[in-house]
Amino acid sequence: MGRKVLLDKAHIEGIRYYDVYRKNGGYAAVEKALKMAPGDVVEEVKKSGLRGRGGAGFPTGMKWSFLAKPEGVPRYLVCNADESEPGTFKDRYLMEFLPHLLIEGLIVASWALGSNRTYIYIRGEYAWIVDILEQAIAEANQAGFLGKNILGTGFDCQIYVQRGAGAYICGEETALIESLEGKRGNPRIKPPFPAIKGLYDCPTVVNNVETLAAVVPIMNLGGEEYAKIGVGKSTGTKLISACGNINKPGVYEIDMTQSVEEFIFSDEYCGGIANGKRLKACIPGGSSVPILPANLLLKTAKGEQRMMTYESLADGGFPTGSMMGSGGFIVLDEDQCVVRHTLSLARFYRHESCGQCSPCREGTGWMEKILTKLEYGKGQMSDIDLLWDIQRKIEGNTICPLGDAAAWPVAAAIRHFRDEFEWHVTHPEEAQVRNFGLAHYADPLEVAVG
Amino acid sequence: MVFSEDKLQKVQEIIARYPEGKQKSALIPVLHLAQEANNGWLSPEVMDYVAGLLSIKPIEVYEVATFYSMYNMKLIGKYLFEVCQTGPCMLRGSDDIIAYIKEKLAIGVGETTTDGMFTLKTVECLGACGYAPMMQMGKFYKEHLTREKVDQIIEECRSNAALNN
Ligand SMILES: Cc1cc2nc3c(=O)[nH]c(=O)nc-3n(C[C@H](O)[C@H](O)[C@H](O)COP(=O)(O)O)c2cc1C
Ligand code: SF4
Ligand code: FES
Repeated sequence: MGRKVLLDKAHIEGIRYYDVYRKNGGYAAVEKALKMAPGDVVEEVKKSGLRGRGGAGFPTGMKWSFLAKPEGVPRYLVCNADESEPGTFKDRYLMEFLPHLLIEGLIVASWALGSNRTYIYIRGEYAWIVDILEQAIAEANQAGFLGKNILGTGFDCQIYVQRGAGAYICGEETALIESLEGKRGNPRIKPPFPAIKGLYDCPTVVNNVETLAAVVPIMNLGGEEYAKIGVGKSTGTKLISACGNINKPGVYEIDMTQSVEEFIFSDEYCGGIANGKRLKACIPGGSSVPILPANLLLKTAKGEQRMMTYESLADGGFPTGSMMGSGGFIVLDEDQCVVRHTLSLARFYRHESCGQCSPCREGTGWMEKILTKLEYGKGQMSDIDLLWDIQRKIEGNTICPLGDAAAWPVAAAIRHFRDEFEWHVTHPEEAQVRNFGLAHYADPLEVAVG
Repeated sequence: MVFSEDKLQKVQEIIARYPEGKQKSALIPVLHLAQEANNGWLSPEVMDYVAGLLSIKPIEVYEVATFYSMYNMKLIGKYLFEVCQTGPCMLRGSDDIIAYIKEKLAIGVGETTTDGMFTLKTVECLGACGYAPMMQMGKFYKEHLTREKVDQIIEECRSNAALNN
């Protein structure tokens, strides 16, 4: 069994409410942190090795130490609860069941960064979670952990929940800031980075929900102890939201000592492929990261067991690896069509492009069109190369990484499943009535299933 | 449409969350309030009213309202079914759920039933992929959808509507 430090108390009845949370050790991290100098709290987080849980994996302590501190200018902490990456639903779980864990982490981080007004930007569809968070904030205010002169330190802090209104792009940190200022979610050109010029042109840190929640066990255990959990540079625990064709979809906390095979097939986690089917492919870190066929998912190209760590999931780079990303783990069984699935993701990115850069705006539209042709038996062999060409022209040529995020899934699908795309061209009628199924690339799986 | 006293007070509360002079930040939350108060959509008049409340130009409201997918730019049915169609939901049969709702209500995607009761929309991932297939109905999620569950939901909507009439 892996170690848990975030969801270890999730099963306790009533843990959503302040009294129960407090009785179970809640807010000890705030009490500890507020006795320390803010700079020392940042040091603890640095020592923990915590990496951002929003997708990019940037070291959190380092990000905090980049925050500019000009005299007389307010600084802001913004919690990114936009969670819109397909396959990802872990932040929702945390906020729904352990709202005080997030609030506690936010108070510690606000102290460390000197933020007196801290915002949680939450996707608009999570309307009922707004109520849960606002209740938790009211309780924390009542208990004196928020508001004026917290615990007699002279530190004032208030947390506000801001609802978005349906736009994946608002998860990108500069688009999020624009949205919080009451504008369209158009990403800004960087630099300047938010650490220098963010919300209202003031220094700002944007962190993911899970990142901020992890600050609580870091304070409680101490950075060094926290860093002992996990493997190598993948310190601590990670929440994985597992979905698709598995027996037990849900949110799991792993300490990154698990292999991918164990994660998919053991009863403690996904519980194997649903309906007795075989594993075909998986997108291990949210829709933007490369899809891997079963053989490359379970073992790296070097033939080593693939582990659920940042490093191992990325082993082999894009040619033979993928990424931890946001932890959105999407599993496809043998009956699924990779072309169709890729089309659905391409449609998503076309829908969510903000339209500022032409490679992204036009490219996502073209990719959707060509994939539609291929899926419905109207494609030609040259379309596959055209598709490859278009995704290459988007990657790296845009203001924000949504362009890359749209390009990578298409690239990986063609790279690993070209024969399936070609089959759609050579068998246009058959492709309308049945799926390609498993091919040679799934062979090693016989072992894993049996 | 004008806001009730309660809503006007709520608007003031929201504005107070931001620093002095940054009341434009209240735009997205206030548009949510306005949409609720206006039968689920934003007419030009409503958007102009919001602009007045926040002392910003109407164009600033229009450009935001049209950017975000949760704002409806035309009148919709009493119940809005927003079915997720993205990859993970598709893997668990969202195509079939969408087809079933279309057939059962005899409408296409983006259309409203002639009695003004139901509108069907498809949406992209709503963060419920592990509970797929799913749809959003108003403030809540309906998850693990099956044909039977869709029947039930439609039935409940109809009887609720009958009760309220
Ligand atoms: C298109 C796009 C969407 C994103 N969506 C999210 C999101 O929903 N939640 C999130 O935490 N980060 C998201 N990110 C990453 C953020 O820009 C940012 O890196 C993150 O909030 C930083 O927090 P962390 O360091 O704690 O991970 C997104 C990035 C891009 C380019
Ligand atoms: S890459 Fe796409 S989403 Fe990002 S700024 Fe450019 S057009 Fe907008
Ligand atoms: S794909 Fe439907 S909720 Fe995520």
